[in-house]
Amino acid sequence: MSVIERSILEVEPGFRSQDVALFMASLDDQHALLIRDLEGITVAELEWQAKPGQNTIGMLLAHIALVEVFWTQVGPERRSREQWDVEGVLGLDLANGDGMPAPPDARPPAHLAGKTFDYYRDLLVKARAYANRVAMGIEDGVLSPVFQRTRRNGTVEEINVRWVLYHMLEHFSGHYGQILLLRHQYRDAAK
Amino acid sequence: MAEIVYRTLEVPSGYASPVIARYLWQLDDQNRRLLAATTDLTPDALQWQPAPGFNTMGMLFAHVALNEVHMAHVMIEGRTASDVPGILDGLGPDDDGMPLPEEGKPPAVFANKSMEDFVDLLKRAREETRRIARPLTDADLDRRVTRHPPDGSTRIYNVDWTLYHFVEHLAGHHAQILQLKHLYQHRHAHA
Repeated sequence: MSVIERSILEVEPGFRSQDVALFMASLDDQHALLIRDLEGITVAELEWQAKPGQNTIGMLLAHIALVEVFWTQVGPERRSREQWDVEGVLGLDLANGDGMPAPPDARPPAHLAGKTFDYYRDLLVKARAYANRVAMGIEDGVLSPVFQRTRRNGTVEEINVRWVLYHMLEHFSGHYGQILLLRHQYRDAAK
Repeated sequence: MAEIVYRTLEVPSGYASPVIARYLWQLDDQNRRLLAATTDLTPDALQWQPAPGFNTMGMLFAHVALNEVHMAHVMIEGRTASDVPGILDGLGPDDDGMPLPEEGKPPAVFANKSMEDFVDLLKRAREETRRIARPLTDADLDRRVTRHPPDGSTRIYNVDWTLYHFVEHLAGHHAQILQLKHLYQHRHAHA
């Protein structure tokens, strides 16, 4: 029997907003594809740096998880800076957990040394579950209103929750693409 | 006064479906940011490979454009076959050279191409997507297309998944192009 491959964006039950459910279904799909693509990846590959100062696959995986929880707290939850608690969700510090941005000659952060793919998969699963749980409670009415937040550098951003959800998706997809390129670089360096 | 950065996902006019309009906004946002970050790329940079077998930035730009046209024709319009050359001035669906063999060089068709050439491809592709997307309604989102590719499999897509795939595909390659630009600049700064 031939293989049937279904590429259907299916919305999970339990969401109050169809638009939010579609963003979460998209993130679920990206998450599943990334996990599938990285099955069997070794610690050596997770820690490999093309050059000092460049991100490793492990750093990028930690970064994806941190950012997903961070933006969920900033956007859908509308938490203030004092209320952010990414570490409480992931056990990883928002400011330093991914080691990014890395200084020009930096090595990967010591606290990620020796971490296996199981560790990163667990981070990603926790982040996805957290975002999904929060997103289920979002109503359509909160997607469009614009609110302000001030970044650490003083820049004021005007954003809405719909943009935050889009950004969570494109951020994930972008780093997924970088991870695939790093895997190619790693294979090439090992020749 | 502090600078204000606007990050709000807006609904472009001219589309029958706000959901589809927002997908197009996301695609346009990706193109806008990608092109803003790569406007200074020279023909030399566009055809640079980190090593044989690697995609070049030019290949990735072309890949994004020709895939967008191919998928819009086949997976949204439901055509049996796409007409990529008719939209992209003769460039065919397989002319991106991907996947490159392990020791592959970039396709000769991209030699000495400038950013203006690749911007033109991206613009043509997006206009075609816009033309196809404008009349679609929400009812089209779950319209399904079944394909039987030469590998013997059966593939089923819906329009919603296809539009999500446009976004994540572009975002992934967007990030790869930026990473290749970084590698190119690093290599040439230390040459």
